[in-house]
Amino acid sequence: MFPLFKKSENKENKQQTNVDKVSIYKDIKKNEQYTKQLFSSDINKDFTFRTVTAKYCDKQVDMFFYSSIVNNEKIYKGIVRPLLEADGKTITDVITIESLTEIKDFDTVVNQINSGKAVIFIDDEDTAYSVNVADFQARTVQKPENERVVRGPKEAFTEGLGTNVSLIRKRFHNRNLIAETALVGERSQLEVSLMYVNDLVDKDILKNVKDRLENLSVDNISNVELLEQYLEERPYSLFPTILYTERPDYAAQFIEDGYIVLLMDNSSAALILPATFWSFFHSPEDRYSRFLFGNFTRILRMTAFAITILSSATYIAITNFHSEMIPPDLLLAITNSRERIPLPLFIEVIIMEIAFELIREAGIRVPNPLGPTIGIVGALILGQAAVEAGIISPIIVIVAALSGLTSFAISNTSLNTAVRISRFLFIFSASFFGMFSLVGALFLWVIYMASIKSFGVPYFSPLSPSFKSSGDMYFRNIIKHEMWRPGQIKPNNLQKKNIPNKGDSKP
Amino acid sequence: MKKTRLKGREIIAIVLLIIGFKLADTTPAQYAQEGKNAFWLMPIVSLLVMLPSFLLLMYLLKKYKDKNLIQLIFSILGKKVGVFMGFIIFLLSYLLLILSARNYTNQITMLYFPESPTTVIMFLFLTVIFFGAKRGLQAIGTATYITLPYLKLSILVLAAAIIPKVVWLRIFPIFGDGLGTILLEGAKRGSIFFDLFILTIAYTAITSNKSFAKGIYFGGAIAFMEIIFFFLLYTTLFDYKSIDKIAFPFHDVTQYVNFGEFFTNVETFFMVFWLGAAFLRFVILIYFGSWLLGETLQLDEFEPLIFPLTLFVFPFSMIVENTITNELIFRNYLLSITTPVLIIFPIILWIVAKSKGALTK
Amino acid sequence: MKKQYYLFFIASLLFVLTGCYDRIELEQQAYVIAIGIDLTDKEEEKGVFKFTYQIANPEVGTTASGGGADEPARETVTLKGSDLMSATTTANAFVSKELKLDHTKVIVISEEFARTGEFLRVLQTAGRTTQLRGGVQILVSKENAKDFLNNNKPIMEKRPHKYYQLMLNRATEVGIIPDANIHRFFQITEGDADLYLAPYATTEIEEPKEYEGEENFIAGNVPQEGGSQSQFMGSAVFKEGQMIDILNGAETRVAATLDNTVELTSVFSTYQDPIKPEYQIAGSFIKKQNTSVEIDYKKNGTTTIDVKVPFQMEIFAIPSLVNYSQNMKNQDLLKKSIEEQLTSFAEDLIKKSQEEYGSDPFYWSLYVRDHFKTIKEYEDADWNKKIFPNADINITYELERLEFGKMINDTNLNEVRD
Repeated sequence: MFPLFKKSENKENKQQTNVDKVSIYKDIKKNEQYTKQLFSSDINKDFTFRTVTAKYCDKQVDMFFYSSIVNNEKIYKGIVRPLLEADGKTITDVITIESLTEIKDFDTVVNQINSGKAVIFIDDEDTAYSVNVADFQARTVQKPENERVVRGPKEAFTEGLGTNVSLIRKRFHNRNLIAETALVGERSQLEVSLMYVNDLVDKDILKNVKDRLENLSVDNISNVELLEQYLEERPYSLFPTILYTERPDYAAQFIEDGYIVLLMDNSSAALILPATFWSFFHSPEDRYSRFLFGNFTRILRMTAFAITILSSATYIAITNFHSEMIPPDLLLAITNSRERIPLPLFIEVIIMEIAFELIREAGIRVPNPLGPTIGIVGALILGQAAVEAGIISPIIVIVAALSGLTSFAISNTSLNTAVRISRFLFIFSASFFGMFSLVGALFLWVIYMASIKSFGVPYFSPLSPSFKSSGDMYFRNIIKHEMWRPGQIKPNNLQKKNIPNKGDSKP
Repeated sequence: MKKTRLKGREIIAIVLLIIGFKLADTTPAQYAQEGKNAFWLMPIVSLLVMLPSFLLLMYLLKKYKDKNLIQLIFSILGKKVGVFMGFIIFLLSYLLLILSARNYTNQITMLYFPESPTTVIMFLFLTVIFFGAKRGLQAIGTATYITLPYLKLSILVLAAAIIPKVVWLRIFPIFGDGLGTILLEGAKRGSIFFDLFILTIAYTAITSNKSFAKGIYFGGAIAFMEIIFFFLLYTTLFDYKSIDKIAFPFHDVTQYVNFGEFFTNVETFFMVFWLGAAFLRFVILIYFGSWLLGETLQLDEFEPLIFPLTLFVFPFSMIVENTITNELIFRNYLLSITTPVLIIFPIILWIVAKSKGALTK
Repeated sequence: MKKQYYLFFIASLLFVLTGCYDRIELEQQAYVIAIGIDLTDKEEEKGVFKFTYQIANPEVGTTASGGGADEPARETVTLKGSDLMSATTTANAFVSKELKLDHTKVIVISEEFARTGEFLRVLQTAGRTTQLRGGVQILVSKENAKDFLNNNKPIMEKRPHKYYQLMLNRATEVGIIPDANIHRFFQITEGDADLYLAPYATTEIEEPKEYEGEENFIAGNVPQEGGSQSQFMGSAVFKEGQMIDILNGAETRVAATLDNTVELTSVFSTYQDPIKPEYQIAGSFIKKQNTSVEIDYKKNGTTTIDVKVPFQMEIFAIPSLVNYSQNMKNQDLLKKSIEEQLTSFAEDLIKKSQEEYGSDPFYWSLYVRDHFKTIKEYEDADWNKKIFPNADINITYELERLEFGKMINDTNLNEVRD
């Protein structure tokens, strides 16, 4: 998918920029002037420049930073005051703040200043120093909005990379948990943090991910939502191949099993890869609930899945093509309710389905104070009034509401969208040749899903093709009995724990 | 052909689907034409006739290791004879596929869409099959494995619904039109296990040869029992005088059964699963047919063949005038000439291999 | 490769847009619940029959909003035609909607028509289409089927399908009419060995006859006051697709006890009290095990058929107030008496079928089949001409258990009146 020649071209580009690199001058005036010019300091208001005379060497020291993204107190305490007051031989003795990086060229200077660091030039030295004083504004850790649970932790990722990494590290204490950094974007270079357990992750998949990250040639990717779209293999596909979650606990669970998690600064979510159908289908709460209840919710979700995809389509197919199938009492009831409806049944269903989607969309976009009223107004007006006006038969309202409501049971946002779109596909296909075209569409849907791979991992594995795993597919096992890591991602250490004593778990 | 990650279980699923679902097409009607109420005994005869040849073929494949059906033929018989033989096998499988495609679309139109033209249904059917077959072996295997439980469950439900209505004594007189007829006609129709031979083209595409053999034996055994059991149910549900009048026993049965007082017309429920199975069946057959042809012509990529092969089904299957001629004359005839070919060719392979001394290694 | 996809896609889109051949909205169809078939009045019209369709009106009997409450629950139309399917199409000349036979529950044929033997011919056409299912019940009416359907106005169940469903189920359960669907009709008629029993019904109620025991009636002479005008009782006997006789309720019931292929759970009926013969004892006949039919087939000689009917009996009413429940001697007497009564009744029916019908309504030809290896041998032996009419039939009813309901003893009337 990424042809070889493209790769080499990129490298050449990079080498060329290396040649063009401007190194730091010895003359501080020149440095000052050049930096100011680079950042257009005369119009760029939050670009700040300060000059002090350092006490330890009695030389002029220049300092550049963006005042909006640095911690001013830190600059004062960590840089300005030591420079003015402290004694020492070199600058490293003076500035004792956490990180002090040497810089040789102006490209790095630009990068460092952009990422919230203060850059220090010292007179008569061709080395600049950057000090990490970044203080980007971000929310504090809050509750997850879209993936709620009743039982389980209630922290969500926030828009700060450091915080996100810390939220994961908090959940998995292991020296092999790596938070590797890659840079994406060319104009605005942002950090992507790859988190994985070094001795578990499959090196091929890791390499694949790194290669893809490296080969992105875009100006700017500002968050993981966009990154997901750059990374996925089939952008036209209906089905997501990268798992998107805002729950650090869920991400940590996957890391433990040998998956890779991608984090970025500006997203309150993480990407988990490779993903299978099952990872979209499951919800973190399935594991937090006890065995029976967890599986009970699974049954509910499977039922909801089937209903939301097929109920409207089946209704159209049966009433329009296979009316013999409906029990006579129901048949007469439906027929009666349809006697005076001016629209064909297919249009009726489409109207209600679209209305439901509109209510849902409006519910998301509507300003907060109006929120609750939309649902009520929508349901009341569209349902009741349409029925009374004789535009819609009451049974359609039931069918559409059922298929709409059950779609909420699929908690994963990516799969949820896929399912909702599929529903319309099936509704259309059902209206052509009833069950025949519906089954045909369903069949293609399934076989297409079976052919998808996410980073080389088949979508339905470990069910088929089969791999050794904890068996967490349709139903989950008792946690104590989950001995294996998911085999489809080829973790280096397959066994999770020892075989439990049989006596441990009595029914 | 590159390896897939499929294992024995997917092979079991494929075998169960393409052999097991013969109980739901016109195979029972064909058998019943000759066997009357004893037609459920005929698959046993068919199996006994085919089994030695099939075992011989599997033995040869095992001996020659990483060779699939056509490669095996090539390496034993040489290129010229190999092309000829591969082509015969392909042609038989493709002709049968064409006839049964017509058969299936006729069933769909006749039973569920009486006002739609067969051509349109056929076109739609083939479109779905083409797109399905394009997705490749691994997707086909996975999809079969995933959907099979539901398909089989529907068959089980049907069996449960029939059993209270059958009269077991109808299996007597036990030999129907006579033991001779059963043996002869049963042997003639050995080709219902043709698909097992075709499947060996995938011998090398599975994770291990052992799991392929396991899958095909195991799946074949279950499918065989399933067929016998359902034939028995058909016999006992219809009497000997009626059984040979019914063209589509499966659909007749689904029309007759009911789930209690409220759901009396449940044939559409079974039709859904039957259709699902039909789509999968034809996707598998088209895919394997293209593979046979691709290997015979020694192409590197056989998947481009899927399109023309699917396309040609359309005009060819429309040549025949009606279902009954299609079924009773052409398909019947084709099935009976396929049987000797299937019996003989593994024996020829074996004899040649033996005379070459290739088996002693 | 891409081009192929697009081509296919566009072509399939075209088909999709022109498709919809079989799509039909629910309100464009009329659901036929019952079909009646009669002979035409004129003699010379051979091959032409009168078809009556009873169509359910969806607007009656639903809670859903909408008018039509004062419309009748059914529409009954009659027309002439040569076969069922073409008549159905012709009916659209005066029925505004497309007639659908998918929900048909019963086919009613008049006795007159059934006796001509043309019925098989008419029903054959049903087999070629998918609309009429094997589960549809066959009903023989004493009067014209048209009149039966027109007069049949149930009071409690407004919707016709509900009425037929409930009525036939209940009457079959108590055994006064046989369970008879099209599927069974074909199996037995094509099998050409046994007799087929179809329920007998009428809406023409005669003057009540003398009371002869609860079930010695056929439809039409059950004394009834009030209620719906139609009666279901007894059965029409079909031989080779032609009706030859009528069995009354009791005979129908006995036939059912002797036939293993019909489901019979419990049958309520009365027996003569052995100690005080002027009273009757009421009990429920419960069949838990299959009737055993053993046929000793002799090619040249008299075949013997041994039939054993094991059953249980639950006594509901002993109007004579004789103590049967605790007095073992009485109990034995009662047991014997019930067995004898049933046996003699069955013997009468068997004799009738051997001599009059020349075949059996119990589907016993099944049991002789395992004496033959091939169909030819079996057909040559000829069950209904050679074997059954000349067979020596021994029948025994075996009462395995006698229960006396939930009361230990009846009140002694003399003591009460004292």
